[in-house]
Amino acid sequence: MKRTVILGALLWTLLITAAHVHLNVGWDRLAAQARVFFGMDREELIVGFLPVT
Amino acid sequence: MTKHSDTGSIFRSQKFTDFPTVTEALSAGRIGAAFILAPLAMQLAEAGIPIRIVYLGHRDGTAIVVRKDSDIRDFGDLSGKIVAIPSRFANQNILIHKMMKTWNMPEGSIELREVPPPEHPTALQEGSIDGYIVGEPFAAKAEVDGFGRVLYYTKDIWPEFISCVLVVREDLIDGNREIVQELVEGIAKSGKWLDEEHEHRMDAAEVAGKYYYFQDPELLKFVLSKPVDRVKYTHLAPLKDDFDEIMELAVEMGILRGPIAFEEYVDDSFVKPLDQIDWGIDRLPAAVAADGARAGASR
Repeated sequence: MKRTVILGALLWTLLITAAHVHLNVGWDRLAAQARVFFGMDREELIVGFLPVT
Repeated sequence: MTKHSDTGSIFRSQKFTDFPTVTEALSAGRIGAAFILAPLAMQLAEAGIPIRIVYLGHRDGTAIVVRKDSDIRDFGDLSGKIVAIPSRFANQNILIHKMMKTWNMPEGSIELREVPPPEHPTALQEGSIDGYIVGEPFAAKAEVDGFGRVLYYTKDIWPEFISCVLVVREDLIDGNREIVQELVEGIAKSGKWLDEEHEHRMDAAEVAGKYYYFQDPELLKFVLSKPVDRVKYTHLAPLKDDFDEIMELAVEMGILRGPIAFEEYVDDSFVKPLDQIDWGIDRLPAAVAADGARAGASR
């Protein structure tokens, strides 16, 4: 019984986390952030501009 | 610092053709930072868009231009004329109103027309406007093409004029201060480098013209050298007195609904004294390569 509750809670947490990433973060963005975190990629920022001073 | 260097974060520049689109991209979070008009940044902050001004793009770099053969010799001669401005939310618009007050000209004595900056020179050449006020290189364009004449440089009528400012989304400031610091320091270093040597400015014109602005490098070289103080890239810390003056004029003109405190739309905590930073490079490799290619071709 205790094992079922723990497994259920874990599965629920995983499901909610996956739904959050899917709906709010995006898998591509998460993957990019993970690559930056593990030092596989450099951090990136897009800066908008108009070609006028 | 950029995709062309081996260390630091990567800052990708994304070119836009008008301010509403860049503003929309910023509001939606598709871009984290942008160079936009100073009064526009204030107006966005007033409207609750979570952005902060963290640095300036440059000082001066704007001129009032008239036709070379026109009889307009001073600001008073613009009375009854049509003058193009880049946007209602541009500091250029505020400058024209400030000048009208100085010259005791009643409101509406100059017909101001909003025209996208790249179209200013053509509109002047075609005669649909009598003059225009805009940031470079579109002021110099009419001069270089031989039909325009500078009536005033901002350096002579509103010294240390502010046009574009660097704004950053607040969530980026809260979540990743390091990358904002790196960006601000990068701009400060390159500005210091630009104002150090004439040759640096020529290199920058070559590289920016070819790879970023997609404009004639010769036009940019003209902008950065004739005269050399036409546009400046140092003293880029946002200062309260400068912004309060713009804010008060913007309120008077109805661009802002009411006064807004400097602290509500500016975060100057990323500014470091220029003597503490240095780019540590001399010439730009891409510009040196272009020089070499030209020398080879002329042999």
